[in-house]
Amino acid sequence: MFKKFSGEDVSAQNQVKASVQRKIRQSIAEEYPGLEPVLDDILPKKSPLIVAKCQNHLNLVLVNNVPLFFSVRDGPYMPTLRLLHQYPNIMKKLQVDRGAIRFVLAGANIMCPGLTSPGGALDEEVGAECPVAIMAEGKQHALAIGFTKMSAKDIKAINKGIGVDNLHYLNDGLWKMERLD
Amino acid sequence: MAEKPQPVRVLYCGVCSLPPEYCEFGSDFGKCKPWLIKNVPDLYPHLLQEATEKEADKVADKLQSTGISSGAGDGAASSAPKQEEVKRLPGGKIKKKEKQEVVIEKVVRNKRKCITTVKGLELFGVKLSDASKKLGKKFATGASVVKGPTEKEQIDVQGDIAYDIVEFITETWPDVPETAIFFIEDGRKVPAA
Repeated sequence: MFKKFSGEDVSAQNQVKASVQRKIRQSIAEEYPGLEPVLDDILPKKSPLIVAKCQNHLNLVLVNNVPLFFSVRDGPYMPTLRLLHQYPNIMKKLQVDRGAIRFVLAGANIMCPGLTSPGGALDEEVGAECPVAIMAEGKQHALAIGFTKMSAKDIKAINKGIGVDNLHYLNDGLWKMERLD
Repeated sequence: MAEKPQPVRVLYCGVCSLPPEYCEFGSDFGKCKPWLIKNVPDLYPHLLQEATEKEADKVADKLQSTGISSGAGDGAASSAPKQEEVKRLPGGKIKKKEKQEVVIEKVVRNKRKCITTVKGLELFGVKLSDASKKLGKKFATGASVVKGPTEKEQIDVQGDIAYDIVEFITETWPDVPETAIFFIEDGRKVPAA
């Protein structure tokens, strides 16, 4: 999704009004309970929250010009990888085996066998259509952020095809865009 | 109040901006190596070994060469960089002069509008005015012959047709092999085939 993404793809950025700001905060807090104690640090109440609209129904939440969250088509807000690296435990994690890393870093969606093989790991509680962090075998940090296509149980049972949609991965356009001016 | 989880400070590679553990999957692991050795030597132990071996080789080389050319003065020091230059120059120049190739470039004009420029078709004996007409007809857009930089003529086609154009060129002009068609992506030449 962010394979080719740059400042040019941002069509408009507005400082959002307080009510919308509240809504965003609320939905982020709901989605990531682990983030609640530090939410004030990440999204200071005082500093203006900017929402950048981009092509393909994409919204970026910026604070001080740094992209922190993104969402697709009013879907759930998902943290950017830089933010996730700072607070690694806020998202549910799925782990892919070593062989899959190369492909994921090229933007491929995560296939079921990569998650079910000995190098992979699955959090049983993950349902379908929820944001997850993609970890890798033997690595400490997340390498991608995805949106599950089926639940963890289905991934195990079916073990075929796309398990997780790869939305944001290391070294894609959003990763390279540390700041948006 | 619950204890605040402290943000983890993650070290990113100074060269490719990935976390160092993913450098080996990055586009330019070779370039990252010096940085990695300097900053996170324990992550890739074999790298360090390699580096020290190389160092040793270099020192040995130097010793040898200074021994041989002690009279020539700076001969040993300048020979290595010179060799590299010589290697590069003929590769770049010969290619431009001798090889016939078609270069396709996408130029973004206005956010989501772009122009595809085709250079070098004339090298294959194709009449540019004919070609532009055919391209315009095929893709139903405007196409024109334009004097590009350095007085060379090129064809500008409206819209992003970079991917269909290869097939079209090879089909309409069989003289043009697919291997001679190149794209320019991020300033680099990428073969289409």
